[in-house]
Amino acid sequence: MPTPDGISLSGVYKTFEGRGKTVEALRDVALKCPSASFTAVIGPSGCGKSTALRIALGLETADAGEVLINGEAPIVAAKSGKTGVAFQDSALLPWRSVRRNVEVPLEVIGLSRKSHAAQVQAMIELVGLKGFENSLPGELSGGMRQRVAIARALVTEPTVLFMDEPFGALDQILRRQMNVELQRVWQKTGSTALLVTHGIDEAIFLADRVAVMHANPGRIVEIIDVPFARPRHPDLFSDPAFHALTDRVASVLHG
Amino acid sequence: MARVPTGLRNFAILLLIWEIAGRMDLVASGALPGFSEILIRLWEDRADYPRHIWATLYASGVGFLIGNAIALIAGVAFAMSPTLLRIFRGVNIAVFALPPIAIAPILVLTLSDMAPRIVLAALAVYFVTMTATVIGISQSDNRASDLVKAYGGSRWRILWLVQLRSALPTITTGFQIAAPNAVLGAILAEFGGGGRWGLGTYLLGSLGRGEPDRLWGIGLIATAIAGLGYLFFALISRRLLGATRAVTLNTATPLGDAVSASPFKRVLMLMGIVSLPFLLWWAFIVLTGVPAMIAKTPFGVIDYLLFAKTAPVAQEKLLQALSETLPITFAGMAAGIGFAFLLAISTRLFPNAIRAFMPVALVTQTMPLVALTPLLVLIFGRGTSLTLWVTISVTFFPAFVTLAQGIALVPRSAQDLPRAYGASAWQEMRIVTIPASLPYLFAATRLTVPRALLGVMIAEWLATGRGLGNLLNQSRGYLDFGMIWTVAFVSVLLSVVLYQLVVAIERKVLRRLGMQTAE
Ligand SMILES: Nc1ncnc2c1ncn2[C@@H]1O[C@H](COP(=O)(O)OP(=O)(O)OP(=O)(O)O)[C@@H](O)[C@H]1O
Ligand SMILES: [Mg+2]
Repeated sequence: MPTPDGISLSGVYKTFEGRGKTVEALRDVALKCPSASFTAVIGPSGCGKSTALRIALGLETADAGEVLINGEAPIVAAKSGKTGVAFQDSALLPWRSVRRNVEVPLEVIGLSRKSHAAQVQAMIELVGLKGFENSLPGELSGGMRQRVAIARALVTEPTVLFMDEPFGALDQILRRQMNVELQRVWQKTGSTALLVTHGIDEAIFLADRVAVMHANPGRIVEIIDVPFARPRHPDLFSDPAFHALTDRVASVLHG
Repeated sequence: MARVPTGLRNFAILLLIWEIAGRMDLVASGALPGFSEILIRLWEDRADYPRHIWATLYASGVGFLIGNAIALIAGVAFAMSPTLLRIFRGVNIAVFALPPIAIAPILVLTLSDMAPRIVLAALAVYFVTMTATVIGISQSDNRASDLVKAYGGSRWRILWLVQLRSALPTITTGFQIAAPNAVLGAILAEFGGGGRWGLGTYLLGSLGRGEPDRLWGIGLIATAIAGLGYLFFALISRRLLGATRAVTLNTATPLGDAVSASPFKRVLMLMGIVSLPFLLWWAFIVLTGVPAMIAKTPFGVIDYLLFAKTAPVAQEKLLQALSETLPITFAGMAAGIGFAFLLAISTRLFPNAIRAFMPVALVTQTMPLVALTPLLVLIFGRGTSLTLWVTISVTFFPAFVTLAQGIALVPRSAQDLPRAYGASAWQEMRIVTIPASLPYLFAATRLTVPRALLGVMIAEWLATGRGLGNLLNQSRGYLDFGMIWTVAFVSVLLSVVLYQLVVAIERKVLRRLGMQTAE
């Protein structure tokens, strides 16, 4: 038996019954993310990426198939604080300071804020927001808000990290900066990461493997390995080998 | 698509329950007749209705036209000149907050015939349309304005060509909400005295006769007229917008916020804001030419309350009335808003139940609820519980609509976050839903403060014989003109002060939390 750690989706189906029409969001989706690996999922808009992620988080139930997080059901894993999550928009609560936002997962899984104050502070510093602990989200830039979301995702020291287009709202330059930071942070924590993204270069820069999806019905058409050594340097973005792989993923994506 | 049939189905179920409960005399031993009984009675009374309906329609129609004409002119002027908007802040708040029943006797004293009803109907529509106009114009597309400007168009041309056109949908939405308001204003003026005809008069006249089926029939007709007015403008607005908008009750956006000016200028402005309503009051009396014995100026009221021989007696009566009115106003409002709040935040717990209830709540927004107080008298009698229920019913529905629509705006990701960590429904509510609904709770409170006071005063006037409403009604009988003016003034002042208090607390709390006020 292989180790049950990591994320495992097998034979996942999901159909939405809409008003008068049905959408087959996922058909027979299987994805195994080994422990401490980084997997990116890429695909056209509406192909079911978020749906797959929401099923893996237990926010949505699959019609068929099995989802295991570290060998447990998603809800069990979530309640024990083994998962961390960052959503498309940063999803910060605007009335809570940076620190209080980062504390949300602790509150939910029932850990004392007091005894984890050092951990919260460490996460805020890890994403480079020291000195902004008491700022409100409205007082931060878009990039800073995304970093708070990352800090919040990491605060429970999750062994599994889910991210749904965490940098979707950012411009290209900031996005690359955040990619580099995310790699650094992820390597430090050694967690299993699943990233949903629209950006091919973001996927390749960050991931060990890129799963490419097609729409109607939503399915994984190919999983492409990314061989570049870590830690990856931003120079990689202009490397010919990087461009070759980008073209390869693009041809699968549009093919 | 699935929503309309569901709404219709729920409506049919409601009617069925009504019919059964009515036929079996389940509610307050027959106070609620069956729906069919009401219709039968309506048919029997059909000869009475045309003149009553016509009187109410006439007053609300003319009031609607005049009120909206003034509101449109004022709205355009306010949109063009923020200074003007700021100076009129006091007047606008007073018009928004004034309990119509409190000034009805004054209008009856100073104006004749249908004029009091028309004025009250006009006052009831002014604020909504004025607000819609200011918002509509200030939100119009800047690029289109720039284009006209680039071709050398004047300010008025821009206003005409671009801004008014693009404000039209918003303004029609304003008319939509204003239409039922006009009917309510006319009926309240009919309660307030004078005239033989009108649905309000008919309602009051039938109250003493113990004929529930007739009372309910009148209530049904009044509700239908208000609802048809709403529907009429809803259809126009759908034509203009291509889609209907939700019933949103914009409370008080364009009241003109304080801008940074020198302290001297600000004090001057504040004095202007506060004194303008009093100037208008004074001008009204001069223009109507009613003798000073009957019509009291601001000085007249001060004299009556502080310096006249009878001042101590007047003060005592007033304080006694206030001590009866205020507690129940707060209690009713707290209960109405509290219940609305609980129901709205439990949307996340019972989404389907709340979704089914929403159309009912929306329909009540087009009903002249306070005007239906006589029906509640049938059910709850003439005691304190009546006052409480009237107040709860006029505060609950608008508060619920405001809160439920606000909570629906909370982004999905904000709600997903705690759930992704396995949060319980209660945790989710505590961490996300309740704090997120805070701005809407304030907006709802702002909206319902004047209604709560109005509800209490109506119940007191019509039924319970206590408090400010009763004092007003009594003073009418005694021809105690000083007291009539004093009560009117005090109730408007009270409403404005309470409203301003909510606004002040709202600003402080929300600013501290880094939240925006909700509209
Ligand atoms: N709650 C829902 N009800 C009905 N249909 C849904 C629901 N959620 C998703 N869908 C449908 O399922 C399909 C996949 O949606 P999903 O959000 O997973 O796409 P996505 O790949 O994340 O797209 P994007 O890149 O734009 O975020 C879409 O066609 C969408 O309309
Ligand atoms: Mg998505």
